[in-house]
Amino acid sequence: MITELIHWLFFLLSVLLAPIVILGTIRKTKARLQARRGAPILQAAFDLIRLAQKGETVSSTASWIFRAASTIGLCNVLLISWLVPWLSFAPWAPPADLFLVVYLFAMSRIFTLLAALDTGSAFGAFGASREATLSLLVEPAALLGLVALGATSRTSDLREIFSFTNTHLQMNPAIWLLVGTAIILSSLVELSRMPIDDPTTHLELTMVHEAMILEASGRNLAIIEFTHALRMSVLFGLSVQCFMRAAPAVWKLPEIIQAMITIIGLLTIAMAVGVFESLAVKLQWRRIPEFIAYAITMSLLAALIAVAGGIV
Amino acid sequence: MNLVAAISILPIVATITTLITRSAVTNRVLVPIFCSLQFASILCWSLPIFRGGSSTLSPMSDFSVTKLGVCFLLLTTFVVACSLTHAGTFFAAESRQNSSYRADQEQFFYASSTLCLLAMSFIFVCDNLGYLWISIEATTLCSASLVYYSRTKHALEATWKYLIVCSVGIAFALLGTVLIFAASQHGACNGGSLNIQVLLSHAELLQPNLLKLGYIFCLLGFGTKAGIFPLHSWLPDAHSEAPAPASAILSGALLNCALFAIYRIAGLMGLTHHCALSSTLPIYWGALTALAASLFLIHQSGIKRLWAYSSIENVGIMLVAIGLDSPLLFFLQALNHSLAKVGLFLLSGNIIQALGTKDLSQIRGVLTTSPTWGILLAVSAIAVTGSPPFGAFLSEWLILTKCTDSRHWLAALILLVAIALSFVAVCIHASRILLGPARTDSTSFRPLLASIVPAVLCVGVTASGLTTLPSFLQNLL
Amino acid sequence: MIVLTNIELTVLMSAVLAALMVGSVHLRVNLWLYGATTILIAIATGLTAYPNEEPSLLLIALLIAGLKSIAIPLFLAWTMDRIHVHRDLGALVAPPIAMHSSILLLGLSFLLTQGLPTPSGTGAGWYGASAGISLVLTGLLLMLTRRLAISQIIGFLVIENGIYVFALTQTRGMPLIIEMGILLDVLVGVMLAGLLTFKIQETFEHIDIAKLTDLKD
Repeated sequence: MITELIHWLFFLLSVLLAPIVILGTIRKTKARLQARRGAPILQAAFDLIRLAQKGETVSSTASWIFRAASTIGLCNVLLISWLVPWLSFAPWAPPADLFLVVYLFAMSRIFTLLAALDTGSAFGAFGASREATLSLLVEPAALLGLVALGATSRTSDLREIFSFTNTHLQMNPAIWLLVGTAIILSSLVELSRMPIDDPTTHLELTMVHEAMILEASGRNLAIIEFTHALRMSVLFGLSVQCFMRAAPAVWKLPEIIQAMITIIGLLTIAMAVGVFESLAVKLQWRRIPEFIAYAITMSLLAALIAVAGGIV
Repeated sequence: MNLVAAISILPIVATITTLITRSAVTNRVLVPIFCSLQFASILCWSLPIFRGGSSTLSPMSDFSVTKLGVCFLLLTTFVVACSLTHAGTFFAAESRQNSSYRADQEQFFYASSTLCLLAMSFIFVCDNLGYLWISIEATTLCSASLVYYSRTKHALEATWKYLIVCSVGIAFALLGTVLIFAASQHGACNGGSLNIQVLLSHAELLQPNLLKLGYIFCLLGFGTKAGIFPLHSWLPDAHSEAPAPASAILSGALLNCALFAIYRIAGLMGLTHHCALSSTLPIYWGALTALAASLFLIHQSGIKRLWAYSSIENVGIMLVAIGLDSPLLFFLQALNHSLAKVGLFLLSGNIIQALGTKDLSQIRGVLTTSPTWGILLAVSAIAVTGSPPFGAFLSEWLILTKCTDSRHWLAALILLVAIALSFVAVCIHASRILLGPARTDSTSFRPLLASIVPAVLCVGVTASGLTTLPSFLQNLL
Repeated sequence: MIVLTNIELTVLMSAVLAALMVGSVHLRVNLWLYGATTILIAIATGLTAYPNEEPSLLLIALLIAGLKSIAIPLFLAWTMDRIHVHRDLGALVAPPIAMHSSILLLGLSFLLTQGLPTPSGTGAGWYGASAGISLVLTGLLLMLTRRLAISQIIGFLVIENGIYVFALTQTRGMPLIIEMGILLDVLVGVMLAGLLTFKIQETFEHIDIAKLTDLKD
């Protein structure tokens, strides 16, 4: 009972803090690499609070969907973060089928698209069309990777797949590394980060995510930004979980150390993304499929290993 | 003196000589002399083998020579010697007529061709699949520069195709060689062996699956080099863009080399009682190659492409002979084809030089312009199609009868159709070349000097049909 | 449970790297990945040499590392710089699709090599063979889908690597002198092809092999 309470406490803390810290770490790393001092790590939280206090302008052509979409999206992502084992510990949750999770992500995307289309602005539609294309391309990568894990561990429940008592996957570092890489690559696409989209510039012609939320302001924007950051932490967290399971030694460690590894892993990935974003150049739109292809390749390899493991 | 030294000293000396001499004329005289000396020296040390004894050369592991090997070695050296002798007149005419002629290109040509002779000679004496592969790849590399002689766009394209297609093909032969090596490690001999004699003596013990795979890959790989039907795309291009002496070497010597490699591996396969693979596959593949090539022969635009496709047809016939496991027929067909085809390529080179075009529709009335060349061309063309009284008739007839004797009726039928088709096609094209009104603008040339080598070859091909050469070979092989 | 020996792991990694190579149209990236593939193969050779106590394999490993994984990519990179060609934009199949196909080919080669008997005493078995076959197929795919002369050369080199891996894992060491001969032939072949690439660029002002179609029937 006590442990369950502690789990809930830590979980809520992570849901609140992780998005802010990860976003802050990425920005800080980028700033340092550009020889700037950079904003404090928690700047994202101050920004959100500031946005929430501001007034809001809603286009007169927008319907109720525009306002509702952001809230639905937030609830959706909160649900996902509860179901998905993106931390090494988690409070009780119902079984989370991997297909359910993948399509919950898809649902949150649908509402973002609807909100972008709803206002009728040109850039919104522009971003929505790009987002739809990207999600179409990236979905097989995420799905195939998770299915490969599921096939090896003989279950489709994500909790079951990621539980440390599941021995099917214990001595299989290759598949964990591959799925982890596939998830991190597809999350870069999913979250519209470099090299797909540059989150810092506002050049409408090249934007994906920013173009969609151009019409949002005030509290609405704060919700959207937080949702986005939480989605990022869930995805990065999932890949950290994959990577840490690649080391067989981690499986036997006590829970507290696993949790610390998770935190260190999240920060490392955030810094790695920061470094990558300051080195990488944004890809031409037409060459993005070449990038996504690497994510799919990783998943295909993982699937190959799963199949080979089934044959042998 | 051992075998390796015996066959490599003269070509190496010749290569070095071509590289250090500054004068083109010296090369034109010296290289043919070196090649003839090489021919004579091979004849000298191989005479005891012909008499039934063993060679006078000291034995060496992985290198030995069989009677068939000596026959092919002599044929190859003879073909190269003839082509390079003729090359003297060819390059003399080239330097007079062609503004893009450059002496260093000619020097490079001689150096590459002597190196190529060296690589080709090794194919017939090495007794090891690894060395066999290395030598065949070396011939590709050396002969690529022969094809590239004229430095034109078309020559470049042909060279690139030749180099890449043959290298990839031969890479598959390497895979086949590796597979055969792996096959020998499963029970046959400890540690495995690539030595053909060792493999032959343990043929029953080789791992059958690996051996079969290896055989198929080798057939595919060396078949690419020999220009077997679906893999022949490089052959007409390379033969038609190379200068005439190089085309003669490619067609008269290099194709035999690749086929000889196939013969060695088919011989190994034959001992393991996989009859379908060792005989039926080459027989039908050869027959199909001959048929496809004779269909290509009908509609041809370039004079040298015509002879190139005729070479493919003959490769098909020789592959059938290999499938029938008859070294005699294989060599007879190779001999007749090489002699006639070298003559044809050299004469076509003369004609192309004289008329300044390769286009068959532009070449007319050679018989009136130059009766000597016309007659020689007619004789060689008839000889290459396999009509009596020339040697090719006998060998093709024997192959057909042997094919029916071994109950490969369908293959015999396909082969018959192919031979008939190619006869008709070559006759039609040759009559168009020879007859008709001559073009008036053809430049002056010296037909006599440029017809000596083709004339010798014509005599040779006639002699092989009319004399007792076949029965002599039969006793020998 | 899949249990791999070190040698199998190394050659499988090189097969995967070769598959990734297909996905990039940047020739320089291709060369880098080719070099990495070959280094891995050299390491696998060294690993084979150690337990079998065959010093000749160590020599071959050094030669492969020095010549094939460093000298050849450097030579090809120098060629590319001289003729100012850096990308193979005219790939006949979109590179992503080609990369996925090459992963599928890796799977296919697992199936293809299942029938082969397991070699004894090489420290690698079925997986080594399938890595070799997969490299051969990947090289073929590269040659079939790319149009530039340089890519064709890289494809040929990958095929050759595959055959070498197959030989390494399926046989107990080819004779040293034959290995050297093969290496020499490959080196000379690549040099010749590189020089021809120069000439093609000079003569045609492009190195697009698919456009060389003057000669046909």
